[in-house]
Amino acid sequence: MKSNWQQIIGERKNAILEQWLQSALALFPEKMASGTPTGEALLEGMSMVLDNFDGNQESCGEGINCIARIFAVQPFRPSVALSLFPLLGELIGEKAPASADTEVLKARINAITFEAFDRFLENREKIYQLKVEETRSQLHMLLRSTVS
Amino acid sequence: MSKYAPRKAQLAREFLEKPTPLKGAQADREWWEMPVDFHDGNWCFPGKPETLKEIGFPNPRKWAATDEDWQLPDGWQKIIHDGLKERLKKFRSLKLYLDACVRCGACADKCHFFLGSGDPKNMPVIRAELLRSVYRNDFPMVEKILKGFSGSRKLTAEVIKEWHSYFYQCTECRRCSVFCPLGIDTAEITMVARELLNLIGVNNNWILAPVANCNRTGNHLGIEPHTFVQNIMSLVDDIEELTGITVNPTFNRKGAEILFITPSGDVFGDPGVYTMMGYLLLFHHIGLDYTISTYASEGGNFGLFTTNDMMKKLNAKMYHEAERLKVKWILGGECGHMWRVVHQYMATMNGPADFLEEPVSPITGTKFTNAAATKMVHIAEFTADLIKHGKLKLDPTRNNHLRTTFHDSCNVSRGMGMLEEPRFVLNAVCNSFNEMPENTIREKTFCCGSGSGINAEEFMEMRMRGGFPRANAVRTVKKQHQVNALVTICAIDRATLPPLMRYWNPGVAVYGLHELVGNALVMEGETPRTEDLRENPMAIADEGEDDDA
Ligand code: SF4
Ligand code: SF4
Repeated sequence: MKSNWQQIIGERKNAILEQWLQSALALFPEKMASGTPTGEALLEGMSMVLDNFDGNQESCGEGINCIARIFAVQPFRPSVALSLFPLLGELIGEKAPASADTEVLKARINAITFEAFDRFLENREKIYQLKVEETRSQLHMLLRSTVS
Repeated sequence: MSKYAPRKAQLAREFLEKPTPLKGAQADREWWEMPVDFHDGNWCFPGKPETLKEIGFPNPRKWAATDEDWQLPDGWQKIIHDGLKERLKKFRSLKLYLDACVRCGACADKCHFFLGSGDPKNMPVIRAELLRSVYRNDFPMVEKILKGFSGSRKLTAEVIKEWHSYFYQCTECRRCSVFCPLGIDTAEITMVARELLNLIGVNNNWILAPVANCNRTGNHLGIEPHTFVQNIMSLVDDIEELTGITVNPTFNRKGAEILFITPSGDVFGDPGVYTMMGYLLLFHHIGLDYTISTYASEGGNFGLFTTNDMMKKLNAKMYHEAERLKVKWILGGECGHMWRVVHQYMATMNGPADFLEEPVSPITGTKFTNAAATKMVHIAEFTADLIKHGKLKLDPTRNNHLRTTFHDSCNVSRGMGMLEEPRFVLNAVCNSFNEMPENTIREKTFCCGSGSGINAEEFMEMRMRGGFPRANAVRTVKKQHQVNALVTICAIDRATLPPLMRYWNPGVAVYGLHELVGNALVMEGETPRTEDLRENPMAIADEGEDDDA
């Protein structure tokens, strides 16, 4: 029988969310407090992922992006940041009833982790794009004055 | 020593028993045990040798923060030691700030760089300790009291590397000082630390290149007078195309009533140029007798981020020009650090400007008594006064396509206490103004994350971290009120906030306040307006939209 992971998570959301958030905040050199802007934004992203775990893929992706965007500008290795997603699988697994189908959970967590990897890279690329754009726009304004 | 001074044992105990500011995983470590790490995205390129030679700064050479050997000059420890000694004598505030901190930790989580990075050395209390720890070790009077206190340490090349890293992760924004019960201003500690680093050639190209340019041609980009004029005249053409109105700025005109000085970012930067168009329309609308100087062609003053002497020199240029042109007073454009320099330092640094008159608005007759010492009026204040007296014909519906929020620039809000005037103007020129959360605006505003000369491309990751608290507050109003326009009155903000928004809040564009004024101004004889100054369509039919302010 296919387990309804969305329902399993929904019933345990607060506990999962709290542990997941604390693990993410602990990645920073000095553990970030939950009331900080980073804490707030992570909470929102994580909440979106949990609320749409098996449902609205777009909203789930938005949540994943919210998390990936924060970590893409931090100096940690990508593997450290991305380890948060397998960790989510463990947190959910621990709290799920024994009868739940863990294969389905694993597959979903894998998909989420891969998506997080894509988003992480997209955000890294965005940073490089911003660097180029900044240089280019300075040049554009200089040219504007010499050619007009 | 005064009989009221605490005893040595008492003091030592107080310091030793003070809790470490580090918590959580770092609680059993001391901050100086944490290594300094330079990698891509966390350091700014150093000043080029030719730039240093041009402005007579010491130790010109090619080097990079990732080098093992930074090629410091012989006797660099003595240079720093003597430099600190000299500054302790010169700036009483420095001595006070170094001595007074009780390490209460109230400032610890108030810095945007700490909030964006979680790096303990970005806590203002520890940032100040970077310098204070050397001060404690090196200065006998203090040493006498505190010898043995673990917070003192020797000045080594590693310490210099640490200073370079962390004093350029401070944007001198002063947010921490708002929360410090003793009013300690870590920004001033950073300013002195940067001065000391400059003495041994440890510097930042993004700051020194504009300083050298400004020193040579009068503006950050090193643009020569004819090009400066040409650029403004191209904006005049754009205005004519959009509105049918020909505005007539004059340059270097002796005897004009007012000298107008703005950051060169408004003349050469996107989106700054649209703000410049707004000023030009406003001056035409009220028939102001003003002139623009091609010598004082920069309001910004990167000397503030370099050395006290350089700040003084670059500031003096504006006043020399006002004297030469025999104007009555100076009107200053939307800038952050220009105003910090004028408001906090000018009067005692280059003042009094006796050759100028106490500013009086020629349109309303309002006396700007607050500018009695500096003879320089902020444009937001000037425009707010015009609006208050009903001197402007405004149609705020012309900004209906913009749902705005306002970013208080650190230097204007905390540095000079200007909080209401820009809001008053903004409310008059648009119909949708939405405040960000209370603890992120006015005197508690979060920095753009790239101020004080760290707006370098190579520093982008760090800038995105430092700017995150500001961006997060914008996200809140974007979600709640569909905000799409972040309005600001600082040229550095207009350069730094666009990439910050593109990364964290795509869809939010950055505007100068006077760009919106320019959109809303109904000019006599204008052709019907359908586009804003950026040539984006206006949503004039949108009347009756809810005001969320
Ligand atoms: S708030 Fe002031 S006194 Fe307290 S640690 Fe910070 S700088 Fe020191
Ligand atoms: S002045 Fe601003 S950037 Fe510097 S330590 Fe204080 S809060 Fe941080």
